[in-house]
Amino acid sequence: MAAKAKDVFRLLGLYARMDLNWLIQDWSMVVVIILSETLQNLSGMAGVLLLAIRFGGVGGLSADEVLLMLGFFELADGLGWMLFGNFNVMHISRRIGRGQVDHMLIQPRPLWMQLLTEGFMPCSGSYGLVVGAVLTAIAVSRLQLSLTPAWFGLLGYELLIHLLLQVSQSFLYGSAAFWFPVSCEEMSSTIIDLNHQLGKFPLFGLPGWMLGLLHTVLPIGLLAYLPALALLGQLGYGVKIALPFVVAAVFVTAAVICFQKGLRHYEQYSCNRYREMGHRC
Amino acid sequence: MSNTAATATEKWDTVVELSHVTKYFDQKRPVSLLRRERHRVYALDDVSFSLQKGELTAYAGPNGAGKSTTFKLLSGMLRPQQGSVRLFGLDPGENRIEVMRRTGVLFGNRSELWWDHPVRASFEWKKAVWDIDDHAYRRACGELRELLGLEECWNSFVRELSLGQRMRANLALTLLHGPELVLLDEPTLGLDVLAKRQMIAFLKQINREKRVTLLVTSHDMDDLTEMANRILLLSAGHLAFDGSYEQLAQLAGDYRIIRLSTPGEAPVLEGATYLGCEDGRHLYRYNAGAMTVQQVFSALSRIRDVQDVELGHEDVEQVIARLYQNML
Repeated sequence: MAAKAKDVFRLLGLYARMDLNWLIQDWSMVVVIILSETLQNLSGMAGVLLLAIRFGGVGGLSADEVLLMLGFFELADGLGWMLFGNFNVMHISRRIGRGQVDHMLIQPRPLWMQLLTEGFMPCSGSYGLVVGAVLTAIAVSRLQLSLTPAWFGLLGYELLIHLLLQVSQSFLYGSAAFWFPVSCEEMSSTIIDLNHQLGKFPLFGLPGWMLGLLHTVLPIGLLAYLPALALLGQLGYGVKIALPFVVAAVFVTAAVICFQKGLRHYEQYSCNRYREMGHRC
Repeated sequence: MSNTAATATEKWDTVVELSHVTKYFDQKRPVSLLRRERHRVYALDDVSFSLQKGELTAYAGPNGAGKSTTFKLLSGMLRPQQGSVRLFGLDPGENRIEVMRRTGVLFGNRSELWWDHPVRASFEWKKAVWDIDDHAYRRACGELRELLGLEECWNSFVRELSLGQRMRANLALTLLHGPELVLLDEPTLGLDVLAKRQMIAFLKQINREKRVTLLVTSHDMDDLTEMANRILLLSAGHLAFDGSYEQLAQLAGDYRIIRLSTPGEAPVLEGATYLGCEDGRHLYRYNAGAMTVQQVFSALSRIRDVQDVELGHEDVEQVIARLYQNML
């Protein structure tokens, strides 16, 4: 176990070095990437934030509380992007649908270890994380929240849940590409985009059945809305701890089962297409 | 190396063993707007062969014969419906990690190189992923860079390499961890004549000096006869022939092709049969068992206005067709 953990950290170090080398091969590219990624991350939340400022709050949250929710989303999403964003690990259906799993099978490493390390991009993919951290800090300061160790523990817990939900949904639905490589090549992107578009809206005021649906079957409410309420101290332990844990556990289990089933299908049929794009570049 | 793998090596000097392997794919084909017809395609049908340590074997066959499927079975990417596949006495599907530590795989149309990084970065990546120790890495890197002429492009970005340089870098990367078995699928694909010769010479050298077992696919008979001392000929999923080139020539006849460029109509070439015109060149076939090269040149010298001449082997498809014809 210790040896495997050591291998994981060694490989993370390798991919971090490769990411740095890629980034600094051209300094003008560094500036362009920093600017474009920061603008993209800010513009992604501008709509909801401007609405909240214009109307003095939206969906039962004040403008500052909306800022906390958006900051949390960016922080969690940026963390996911930094850990799994490179080489289509997060967009796993692309790798599967493009026949690139073959490249993984010839490496003398367990697949879980490859998937855990290959997407690491701390240098070129950490802007969402930075933007999210700054926005969260501003919101926390304006809301004058008391930052206790328990609050930070809760923040870490909610970040982990967000990460597990994003990755597991990408792998769960993306596994369809094992059976339908052409039509499902972009399945992971579709679910990630869906989470990006819907996950940033406060859900207060929706009918109960819809809230139930959006916190379980399509758990966009667990990506930012519920975590924000939890960080604001507005939820009981059952909702802020148990519900996200159970939903994340179900999605992770389903993703593991479907991915393994898909791999078994791949061993029988392989993939009848191959595209170089997006794997080694 | 695991205990299982170590035990298997001691017992087995046989590096590769395919025993009655059948691999088929069920496909659905549209026959009308709503109706789909199920169809079973046999990629390999009851194929058996084995490779001993240090063999250099050509795995030949026309497109769609089942060569790539065999390689995927050997690499543990696919599993057979029937029969067994063993590398070093191990099932590659069950023991993927152990088998891949001792095997190098190169698919001609795929690259393990990192496109947006310098060539050396791919080697450093492999060192870490394959867990190659510093001493072995430095030695292998030095040897491969020199033998495959990678010094000039070592710090170049992979995206900037020529096809020949990229193929050589890919081959070097495949060999970096010192594999005992190397599976090469079309390693000379797209290379010019000089690059092809360099590649073949290198493969023969590592086979001779390091006793690396090599299985190389190609559908170019010229490459195969130059490269390997054993040829496995695959046709529509069946193993049509297993033996040396001399044995193949005995069975199917040793026929060669002459490509002749002359202005105007095809001249008569004594001792050879005219086959037709291809890309503006006249094609002839002659029996190398009955006609020497000197006799061919003598016949050629009697033709006026010869602009260019090229001698080569027949296509694999033609060899297989005649092989079946002679065996019936």
